[in-house]
Amino acid sequence: MPELPAAVRGFGVTFGTIFKKVVTEQYPEDSSKYPPKPRFHGRHQLNRWADGLEKCIGCELCAWACPADAIFVQGADNSDEERYSPGERYGRVYQINYTRCIFCGLCIEACPTRALTMTNEFELADNNRADLIYEKQDLLGPMLPGMLAPPHDMVPGTTDSDYYANKITGSVPQQSTPQQSTPQQGGVA
Amino acid sequence: MTIVNHNEKIDTVNVVIDGIEMEVPKGTLVIRAAEQIGIEIPRFCDHPLLTPVAACRACLIEIDGVPKPQPACAQVLSEGMNVRTQRSSEMARIAQEGVMEFLLVNHPLDCPVCDKGGECPLQNQAMTVGRPDSRFEGEKRTFPKPINVNAEILLDRERCVSCARCTRFAEEIAGDASLELLERGAQQQVGTANDEPFDSYFSGNVVQICPVGALTSASYRFRSRPFDLVSVPTTCEHCASGCSLRTDYRRGTVTRRLAWDDPEVNEDWSCDKGRFAFAYLANGRIESPLIRENGELRSASWPEAMHFAAAGLAAAGTSAVLVGGRATVEDAYAYSKFARIVLGTDNLDFRARASSTEEAEFLAAHVAGRKLDVTYTDIETASQVLLIGFEPEDESPILFLRLRKGVKRGVSVHTVGPLYSLGSEKLSAHWVKAKAGSEAHAISGLDSEIVGALDSNSIIFVGERAAASPGALSAVSRLGSQTGARIAWVPRRAGERGALDAGAIAGLLPGGRPISDPTARSEVAQAWNIDADSLPNVGLTGTELVTAIKQGSTSALVIAGVDPSDLPNGDELIAGIENADFVVALENHHSEITQRASVVFPVAVVTEKSGSFMNWEGRSKPFSAAFREALTLTDAGVLSMLASAMNVQLNGDTRALRKELNSLVPWSGPRTDVNNHEVHAPAGTTLATWRLLIDSGVMQEGEPHLAATARPSVVAVSAAMFEQLGKPEVITVTGPKGSITLPTQVAEVSNESVWLPMNSPESHIYAQLGCGYGQAVTVKGGAA
Amino acid sequence: MKLTPVITEHWDDPELYTLDGYKSHGGYEALAKALTSDPDSIIATVKDSGLRGRGGAGFPTGLKWSFVPQNDGKPHYLVVNADESEPGACKDIPIMMANPHALLEGVIISSFAIRANHAFIYIRGEVPAAIRKVAFAVKQAREAGLIGKNIQGSGFDLEVTVHAGAGAYICGEETALLDSLEGYRGQPRLKPPFPAVAGLYASPTVINNVETIANIPYIIDRGVDWFRQFGTEKSPGFKVFAVSGHVQRPGIYEAPLGITMRELLDFAGGMRPGAELKFWLPGGSSVPMLTADHLDLPLTYEAMVEAGSMLGTGTPMIFDQTVSVVKAVTRWLEFYKHESCGKCTPCREGTYWITGVLEKFEHGNGTTGEMETLTTLCGQIAGRSFCALGDAAATPYPAAIKYFSDEFTAATHTSADEQFDPVASYVFSGVRA
Repeated sequence: MPELPAAVRGFGVTFGTIFKKVVTEQYPEDSSKYPPKPRFHGRHQLNRWADGLEKCIGCELCAWACPADAIFVQGADNSDEERYSPGERYGRVYQINYTRCIFCGLCIEACPTRALTMTNEFELADNNRADLIYEKQDLLGPMLPGMLAPPHDMVPGTTDSDYYANKITGSVPQQSTPQQSTPQQGGVA
Repeated sequence: MTIVNHNEKIDTVNVVIDGIEMEVPKGTLVIRAAEQIGIEIPRFCDHPLLTPVAACRACLIEIDGVPKPQPACAQVLSEGMNVRTQRSSEMARIAQEGVMEFLLVNHPLDCPVCDKGGECPLQNQAMTVGRPDSRFEGEKRTFPKPINVNAEILLDRERCVSCARCTRFAEEIAGDASLELLERGAQQQVGTANDEPFDSYFSGNVVQICPVGALTSASYRFRSRPFDLVSVPTTCEHCASGCSLRTDYRRGTVTRRLAWDDPEVNEDWSCDKGRFAFAYLANGRIESPLIRENGELRSASWPEAMHFAAAGLAAAGTSAVLVGGRATVEDAYAYSKFARIVLGTDNLDFRARASSTEEAEFLAAHVAGRKLDVTYTDIETASQVLLIGFEPEDESPILFLRLRKGVKRGVSVHTVGPLYSLGSEKLSAHWVKAKAGSEAHAISGLDSEIVGALDSNSIIFVGERAAASPGALSAVSRLGSQTGARIAWVPRRAGERGALDAGAIAGLLPGGRPISDPTARSEVAQAWNIDADSLPNVGLTGTELVTAIKQGSTSALVIAGVDPSDLPNGDELIAGIENADFVVALENHHSEITQRASVVFPVAVVTEKSGSFMNWEGRSKPFSAAFREALTLTDAGVLSMLASAMNVQLNGDTRALRKELNSLVPWSGPRTDVNNHEVHAPAGTTLATWRLLIDSGVMQEGEPHLAATARPSVVAVSAAMFEQLGKPEVITVTGPKGSITLPTQVAEVSNESVWLPMNSPESHIYAQLGCGYGQAVTVKGGAA
Repeated sequence: MKLTPVITEHWDDPELYTLDGYKSHGGYEALAKALTSDPDSIIATVKDSGLRGRGGAGFPTGLKWSFVPQNDGKPHYLVVNADESEPGACKDIPIMMANPHALLEGVIISSFAIRANHAFIYIRGEVPAAIRKVAFAVKQAREAGLIGKNIQGSGFDLEVTVHAGAGAYICGEETALLDSLEGYRGQPRLKPPFPAVAGLYASPTVINNVETIANIPYIIDRGVDWFRQFGTEKSPGFKVFAVSGHVQRPGIYEAPLGITMRELLDFAGGMRPGAELKFWLPGGSSVPMLTADHLDLPLTYEAMVEAGSMLGTGTPMIFDQTVSVVKAVTRWLEFYKHESCGKCTPCREGTYWITGVLEKFEHGNGTTGEMETLTTLCGQIAGRSFCALGDAAATPYPAAIKYFSDEFTAATHTSADEQFDPVASYVFSGVRA
């Protein structure tokens, strides 16, 4: 049997494939259909306690752990007038340089308060280097219901240990107006 | 192996440590000997400069034949001793592990927020000799988080391991025994009586020697982590003690300074000023050259400013150079050359303070070009020490510490002056009472017993204040030649001793060469590659120079590092600058002078340049730039550019300048003698005053915590004067210009003098009183 | 063996505490004898007598005295350690209350022997009655010329200072006592130098227990042979035994060393009715406990060590079957935790930790793992601490677990009070019945 010309045979592949299931994923049009795996190492997030105080204590352990030297942290002292986190110390400056970050996740392992975690967000491209240095406000997690934007007091009657033991369930009205001493409605589990 | 220097005859013992045979001097402690062969025994309470207490028990080791483990920090090695550390003894290893476990029982797990984290001996040693896990499940003892032991030092008692290093430092080294261990058992804590502040000029050292994060400083609180810091050695620029320090910086900002181990000078210590006063390095700097146009200063480019300055200086008449105490040796040498070669003048002085012709003679005769005649180590073995016009605790704190060390070894100290200070008390000094300004009388009238005991092993320390007491320095000079006692001059500022040797004073060329001596002139001319005849003749110094500037006979000025408020006749200098034809200022911060200068050049501070300071011993203390990338020029660099703009070649390279100055070996030719100066102390009450270590000095700006540790501004009077004034709560002291009213302090003061701090908050002597040390004032009880 | 009242012989005389009362029984005769003899011969006599320190450690007194360097140009001091605060010890305070002049006569003779011209009696601050008695005795002795310049024409001068402590067990440790006496916080000092070379005010100092010093006049008066007829070769002499606890007649019994606990118990009237001995401690809480098996051992320094305990202060504490060992050990450790001076790590942190764990056992919340932990913790303190306080704190638990481990095992689920009715152990427990 004479062989079909090569060109025709080639088209045979083409036609055959037309009727097969499409494997191409359309990005960005269909990106929502293909979310990253839940444990994908994406952009970092600085988490908050349930009352809105920051979990970051500015300890710099993430910066220490970072093999790419992508993190810069500077701590500062919380005061009664201006409190960002429970306890003595908070992160005043927090920067992650995404031109350097290799998304290895050592930083989130080092974090002693689980302040630093990684989201699944991977769309971090930009057209200049400066904008790829994310500042603290870019990294902080969103204000969820029950949260109050710092600076504010800790939940009255609690200590930093209660926060670390995850006993805080949300902010209470006194936290926004520290002078008042109205009876509190929960706030501690 | 042996660590004995056989040139000296020392009794030694032969011992074995972990199987290694050693020969060590008799009396060596196990822990020190082990260090020599690289065996690290864990320790907390042990510190080589403090007496052993064996309290922490972390260093337990086994000695053959001794049933119980022994502390290595207190165990003296004896002949034939066989020591086994944790490396070869299970008993020692288990004992150390047990102690480490106990230490962690009550230690909080707050390493992430602790400033010591990352450089913590407890962290490190817990990792090397501790257990891998903790068996303690109980409640830890807690204390309220940090409390202030003074404004600068914070104490977190939870973290304390009761090693007593801080309390022993306070008592043994600083002599400020107010820091103590209180309570007992697990409640034992560091504290002060009645929660009064730990009043010490050396308080920062306790932060450095604390083996945990119990003592931290307010200025470094949460600033950084050690792994982020770049550490560079430096020399302290605050006084003439010449301490070696370590500067730690992060991203171009100095975060802290620590004492660097220099056994010859500051051992392991530094004073609080050297440690904490560095904010000025970054704050309020002049950023670019400025030139005066239509009466206003405006920024200018370097070339524009250079040409402006060169033209101005060339057009002006007789010129002068004033260089303050901040200059490094190399910078001072550059000023010395610039004045003589470029400006052709000998009107030159580095003494931006009360000075006298007598002092200039004294410096030329006894100090200039003489190196290491008297050293820190000499103090420890001196027979007698005489302090004249010198308050070591305020004016050279590290010298004070060495004096204390000497006193503990039996050195007797006599202090001649109007006030028996707290510092004198800590030196157990004998007080030779003198009315301020009439020290000369007190020196000539010294007890024959004291004079008789002075010999070549005795040291006479003279402070810069002696210049304000007429006749004092010539009396010292006579006393020195009469008894053979060695004389050491201790200026207050870091740059003065070097500037003297660099010849930055009229009448003296580098190395102490008299400018009037033909040999000296030709030696210097050869080194400078100029004609000896072109060197100027003796110019004006001190008060006369300022007067000449004011009167306009000197109409062009190059001025650097001078604060008019440091000068008794600062008003005259300001008036002179306002009237002068042309004033070039080289400064790093704005001052009353830059505001009036014709052109201002910014210059580098110590972190941005290399150079050296010469301390009071005459010891050269070189340092290199912390910030190598800094673009600021040194004074010498600016002068070199200015010289070339004026068509003179002057090398501005620090190394070249140092090499050239070193080639001008100290003068061995004839020196001028100190003339006998008339003693003329004013009648009535005189003013006694000096600068406290921590005061309103410009280099201490920007560090409020340090400022808050300053001693309070008071008027100190004798009990008799206090009685005479009617026991007032406040006293008013009045001088020609005005008065100062401050709270009364009854102290050991001469009945004919009254003491005020020279430059402290609410007490600025020259500005407010218009007179200085040893001059007549009136004293009145109550407010003005 | 019979009781041999010597120091306690005339305690029934209510006037014994006065100078006249003491003299009426031959007091101060030894002093007259001593002052005419050579100081070195007194040291030799005491050495020959074999007298051992009665404060707990049992160090030979004469030997201690001979360590004091002579002709060194420094002042010498005698310090009497009367800071009796050991739990269970109650012998020095009764001696000072009943027979203070025996102490004082001993002080004068001892000072003469070691060439001290100033003696200090450091008395526990919590017993003002004893302080008053001793101070009164010193006053009377001074008025009678027994203290002061040129005592009885001998040319010997002596000043005696009575000093009250401020309430710290650690000040019974001799070097801590010296610190306290000098006005510092009482914490033990680093040795060497030993007090015999550099003690009080950095001068040669002898520190002796009250009972030791009170023995001296009798030894000088009656001689070495008389003294050595009591006791054993290594523990010669007699001892003031203070028996306390669940016995019929708790009190002071002076007997030769070598008497057995069974004999002493008989003198004390035996156990209280219906009670049987559970455990006993020969001398204070710092010595390991013993049981009924050890009742026939001679109470001597050497025999007690052999049995795994120590004679200590020689003040036996007797406990009957109503007592919870767990609770007793916990109380002792609470005491040591409270009294730890804080200087060294093992004692400061170890007592804190152990006490916390023992309190769990007391409430029935211990675990078997923690029994093991406690044993190792005690091992981490014993021999590692700065002074003997730490060693003492590490003593009760290992001894208790040796004989009564069952009780600790039971304490992992049942509290001490459930195991043993606390009321039953009270002295007045019969009242409820």
